[in-house]
Amino acid sequence: MKFQRIVAPVSVAAVAAMLITGCTTTGGGTAAPTGGTVTVAEVNEVTAFTSSTPTANLDMNAKLLGYTRSSFFYLDNKLNIIPDKSFGTVEKTSDDPLTVKYTLAKTATWSDGTPITADDLLLAWAAFSGYFNDASYDADGNVTGGTQYFNYAGDTSGLGLADKPVVGDDNMSITLTYSQPYADWALINPIDAPIHVVADHAGVSQKDLVNAIMTLPRGDAASPAPVNDVLKKAADFWNTGFDATSLPTDKSLYLSSAAFVLDAWVPKESITLVRNKNYKGSLVPKIDKIVVRFIGDAQAQVTALKNGEVDVINPQASADTIKSLQAIKGVTTLTGDQFSYDHLDLTFNTGVFKDAPDLREAFLKTIPRQQILDAIVTPMNPNAKVYDSELFFPGTDGYTETTKVNGASAFDKVDIDGAMALLNGRTPEVRILYNTKNPNRVAAFQAIQASAEQAGFKIIDAGAENWGSLLGSGTYDATIFGWISSGVGVAGVPQIFSTTGGGNYNGYSNAEVDQLATQLQTTLDKKAQDDIQVKIDTQLFKDFYGVPLFVAPGVMANSNSVTGVVYYPGQAGVGWNYWEWAKK
Amino acid sequence: MVSFIARRLIVSVLLLLGAAFIMYQLTALSGDPLEEYYQSRLPNREQLMADRIERLQLNVPAPLRFFLWLGGAAKCLIPFANACDLGLTAQGQPVILLLPQAMTATLQLVTASTVLAIIVGLVVGIVSALRQYTTFDFVMTFISFLLFSLPSFWVGILLKEFIAIGFNDFLSDPVVTPIWIVVLAIVSGLIWLGLIGGDLRRRLTVFAVSGVATAAVLTYFSLSNWFTHPNIGPVFFPIMAAGIGFVISLLIAGIHNKRALLTAGIQAAIAYVCYFALQGLLNISSIYTLMILGLITIAVAWVSGYLVGGPDRGVNIRVGIFTSLLCAGLILIDRLMQAWPTYSNMSAINGRPIATVGSQTPGLGGDIWIQGVDTFTHLLLPTLTLMLISFAGLTRYARAGMLDVLSQDYIRTARAKGMPERVVIVRHAFRNSLIPIATIVASDFGALLGGAIITEQVFAFSGMGAMFQRGLTLPDPNPVMGYFVVIAISAIVFNFIADMTYSALDPRVRVRA
Repeated sequence: MKFQRIVAPVSVAAVAAMLITGCTTTGGGTAAPTGGTVTVAEVNEVTAFTSSTPTANLDMNAKLLGYTRSSFFYLDNKLNIIPDKSFGTVEKTSDDPLTVKYTLAKTATWSDGTPITADDLLLAWAAFSGYFNDASYDADGNVTGGTQYFNYAGDTSGLGLADKPVVGDDNMSITLTYSQPYADWALINPIDAPIHVVADHAGVSQKDLVNAIMTLPRGDAASPAPVNDVLKKAADFWNTGFDATSLPTDKSLYLSSAAFVLDAWVPKESITLVRNKNYKGSLVPKIDKIVVRFIGDAQAQVTALKNGEVDVINPQASADTIKSLQAIKGVTTLTGDQFSYDHLDLTFNTGVFKDAPDLREAFLKTIPRQQILDAIVTPMNPNAKVYDSELFFPGTDGYTETTKVNGASAFDKVDIDGAMALLNGRTPEVRILYNTKNPNRVAAFQAIQASAEQAGFKIIDAGAENWGSLLGSGTYDATIFGWISSGVGVAGVPQIFSTTGGGNYNGYSNAEVDQLATQLQTTLDKKAQDDIQVKIDTQLFKDFYGVPLFVAPGVMANSNSVTGVVYYPGQAGVGWNYWEWAKK
Repeated sequence: MVSFIARRLIVSVLLLLGAAFIMYQLTALSGDPLEEYYQSRLPNREQLMADRIERLQLNVPAPLRFFLWLGGAAKCLIPFANACDLGLTAQGQPVILLLPQAMTATLQLVTASTVLAIIVGLVVGIVSALRQYTTFDFVMTFISFLLFSLPSFWVGILLKEFIAIGFNDFLSDPVVTPIWIVVLAIVSGLIWLGLIGGDLRRRLTVFAVSGVATAAVLTYFSLSNWFTHPNIGPVFFPIMAAGIGFVISLLIAGIHNKRALLTAGIQAAIAYVCYFALQGLLNISSIYTLMILGLITIAVAWVSGYLVGGPDRGVNIRVGIFTSLLCAGLILIDRLMQAWPTYSNMSAINGRPIATVGSQTPGLGGDIWIQGVDTFTHLLLPTLTLMLISFAGLTRYARAGMLDVLSQDYIRTARAKGMPERVVIVRHAFRNSLIPIATIVASDFGALLGGAIITEQVFAFSGMGAMFQRGLTLPDPNPVMGYFVVIAISAIVFNFIADMTYSALDPRVRVRA
């Protein structure tokens, strides 16, 4: 009796259990193993499927586009422009006026199957040229009139020189004619977001959008035109529509035109890229899948590499990171330069160095450049040498040439006696501004202080946390900080060295340099550009402008199970040649 | 009571506003968001600077900017309007969308460790108090102070080096060498000797028995490839299930309560049957299947406890539920262990199961057991790191609380009445010692969402801590404020709960209305 009392409810429960649980079960089986996956560790997370807007202009977004977008060309690890003919060809058809023709290849296709046409190039041109913008701004940067259409993160002044493109070859090519020569024309890559996606999401038809781009006149801030509704809608979407915090359900937001397409995104953790079935180009990878994991901490990247969780890492360089990498078996450590360098500049328009070339020379003679290099860079990059140019990066052709003639080598060694001879008993006070939060700058300052005081300079520590906003304020005589550059192009040169340049914090003014910098902007030939830059470089050292200290080192590492990983100094990062990677 | 709550709420809101203002100012003043552009050689840097100034409203002084932020944040109070606006980050991402992601990562990271630290901390603390001034007590005191003073990044890196990389290397040739067997046997003997105590002869016996047992188990593991093919197996399962039933009835009902013992026995037996019967169902289970099975387990335990009857059915039912849930846990662990070899041999894992970064292997696939093992291998190290550190404090509090209670008059009275020691400890002392700990546990839970900035960084969990840190580096006040809002509110809420619990637990504390 009692037994039955227990059994009955238990068996009822058991049957019910079988019924209920049966409804919630899943199929058995496990995923088929995949071959040829390479896992890459990156510091930052993706925030957008574009890098053309100021908010999205981050290295990781650009790296994602590197895997998923084809271009007319890419830059190799020596910064040479390598064309990708399977996407399209770039042809300079005339020097005067500068005329460049961009022709798409038949193989260029978006991953949804839509062919890439001149319409897509027109959208990129409209955004990159700032052609239609006619907004004017007040001192605080607020718009006071007119319209800002595309909010492009890059420089619009170069492409802005070109007239409206001429479409040809059955809507497969555009031709740009520049009103004056533009030095960096070869770096223009007029392809961005797919126009059919932008038109769709903006709620306009692609035809109307192309029509608006082809018919609207150039914007003029002095007499702003009424807002064009179609273009405004498209631009508004282009400006923010590709921002994301997780994988959107709408696949058209992350279309690919290269060999890989985004497949999964676990926020804060990883993205997975799989092969694009619609890719017909020639940069065909050997691997099936790329997983990018977001690991901010350099040491965590190293341990993950050691534990086999990632195959390729790209951490922030430090002596500790490199030391622990070199201690791991089965791992190749790649070190090299990055496109940024620390330098010491002197103030020309105020203070002790104003109109005093002898003091400037004496001070520069005391800078212990080798000692600073040994303390900061050598532990990371044992082959590093004192950096001897304000304009060229080591490893480029121009660098070898300029160091022969620019006179920088005169300051390679500390010359206290020479400095004292120039000072002739004077003891000038020198205020040095630097970032007190950056240990490298503090170390450089201390080394310079110790050395310069031997020659009789009185060094005043003008270091500050808010050093950035003090630049150009005239409150210091010398400053130590870093320049970060893209490594290519010459458009940034007048910015720093010409009298009116926005980055000329030092009040440096030399009529010859001004003239050369202007000439540089209209020089089309690479060799001629290099020659002009060598002249500017030489002039800078002749004026005792300052001295470069060192080029920042970078590090990448790969497990030996992956081959084909090559160090890259630029923004494209370790994935720049992903099609050459292979997994053993 | 109502007026007390109202007063608390008003004070909390004022506190929150004041703290938010200070936090915003400190963040905004901590650096220059334009710094990266000062060093840029881009031809259009001026335009980029203007854009950032415009977007982050840098031309509005920070004290006024706070009120712009507050205006958006205040919209969160409108119910169902979905108008919450905590601003955008410098990358143009809405903070309100980033917060849930960061919270998920943080909760994954800290929940298990907090719960485990509380359980282990309480148990160790109470046992130390009961064995005051024994070797065990001294050793635990030493260990807890040692752990308390360890920096988390260092513990994290050590664990990665030895438990992840070291253990993974070991798995490629999982043979425990005789030297290691001897060393581990001696260590385990010493641990048990300290735990159990007694006179010299007893200590020696304990040392010998536990040492030999450890050596035997290790040899068995090593010979049977247990490390690559772990399992509980049909032999050990019933032994462990019976052990669980015995300990649970000992703690809850006392060894003399035959009906409780019977209930526990029935549960262990049912579990053993299920161990065989359910394997087919488990192979194809989803998480919901498991939840339903869990409910059924409780129902069956309740029913059998009720049916066993006797003067105190409640005790039977409790014993039954605890025993059956723990046994069910054992079945799940065994099933996860069965998935281990498959998991370990997957190409994405490549025979190195213990992970050092993140919370999952990207694109792994597989059933819930594979996913479960994957979660385990990823969370093991961060959980251990956090647990080792927070466990220390809890042990101290639990020990002190228990000692305090044990010296009370009513404990002496209870003993004098002739109550069994079990009842004195579990019912009179243990419960009362929990009262002060409630406050600490509540604030621990409040701190859960705050994340663990350093541990997050070491294990690449991009949670609340990372959000705070990234916001502070730029500086970008909006994500920092998002972080602040969440932790400030949770701190206030949990402190409030702690106060309420306190008055509920301890009748001597009265909230003055």
